[in-house]
Amino acid sequence: MSKFKKEGRKSTPGVNTSSLPDIVFMLLFFFMVATTSKENDPTVQVEQPTGTRAMDLTPFKQRSEVDFLYLGKPRNPARAEAFKMGYALSLDNVVQPTPDGLYNTNAVGQWKKDKFDQKPARMTSPIELVITCVKADKGAPSGLIFDIRKELQNINALTIAYAVRDNSNI
Amino acid sequence: MAKREIPEINAGSMADIAFLLLIFFLVTTTMDKDQAYIRSIPKKIEVKNDPVEVQKRDILAIKANSQNQLMVRGEVFNDPDKISDFVLKFYQTNQKSAGQLVMNDFPLYSVITTSQIEANIDKILDEIDAMEAAGSPQDQIDFKYNQLAEWEKKQRALKLYGGSQLPEISFQANMRIEVMQATAYSIFAKIQTEIEEAIYELRDKEAQRLWGVSYGTLKRKEANENDKTKVKEEKGKLELLEILYPARIIEVTPKN
Repeated sequence: MSKFKKEGRKSTPGVNTSSLPDIVFMLLFFFMVATTSKENDPTVQVEQPTGTRAMDLTPFKQRSEVDFLYLGKPRNPARAEAFKMGYALSLDNVVQPTPDGLYNTNAVGQWKKDKFDQKPARMTSPIELVITCVKADKGAPSGLIFDIRKELQNINALTIAYAVRDNSNI
Repeated sequence: MAKREIPEINAGSMADIAFLLLIFFLVTTTMDKDQAYIRSIPKKIEVKNDPVEVQKRDILAIKANSQNQLMVRGEVFNDPDKISDFVLKFYQTNQKSAGQLVMNDFPLYSVITTSQIEANIDKILDEIDAMEAAGSPQDQIDFKYNQLAEWEKKQRALKLYGGSQLPEISFQANMRIEVMQATAYSIFAKIQTEIEEAIYELRDKEAQRLWGVSYGTLKRKEANENDKTKVKEEKGKLELLEILYPARIIEVTPKN
């Protein structure tokens, strides 16, 4: 004599997924705001040294007042042997040719000039102030940095930036 | 005609579309920011002048050899983290005794007053007038205008600083980074970091004392602000800090 009537087999109701798009959109907007677009993966592998108090280049990037060049070990191991001490310079994903088995930093000047000519019209800074950011690997020889610096001096591009990984203020 | 009911649009695939977009952004973007130390390269000079004599006390040489060993002012340094302390010492030792001759190995400080600045500006203005009247070469006149701009900068800085005296480190005081060709970039970057840290600390302390804001905030404001007058205000503050603690860094091109 039970008061409760035994019901028939109940099927579990399906989960309401109508708010799923909202959740996903929320995630989407978060990532759109919090991240910046990736540069092309350079053809050289760069493991940056760490540093503190470095300048954030994002505002300069937004005004396209900065060009990046990479200095690291070639990703293709077969090419690594062609370079002295195993480091190569990558300008816009082109690993510089090395006729004599050494680095070729001579291309830096022409590359920077071309870059400067291709800048959008809204960028009004003179070439002296357009930053050239060197992203170099931990072990890259400093002599190479100075070679690049000399090339930049020759074409009067007088602002250089030494990239580091800054973990202090993220 | 009977009222027809409009069928609802099926939003079931909305989530799929959003997921697709989300994954696209996840793949093409990166979280890490590009951070770097910005330095300027000296202009190339055609005419080679005799090197200027610089007093030993004004030079802070930080050297690194091809074995990545450090040397600061002729002494071997084992702990690279201590370089910033040495830079602080370089700036602060004689700061309190501005305007006096102190016998030690650190750069001297001098004071400039409002009247001195005004006298200099007047003098340069007169010189410019005279040069323009005499038809001097343009580059010489430009040089004078640059000098004038420097003095006007100091005038603005002193106004912001308050009082009638501006302490100033010896105009030749500089830090030199002398590395060898084979020195690892990490060591070069470490020296830059240490110098930057010391300079930041000095300027930050001054910014806190004068306006109660951090130096980092000032820099961020200057870089991101769109309002022209506000940018000018922040720029003036940064200029003052730069005059009080100038970061004169010389990167010596390695010979071997």
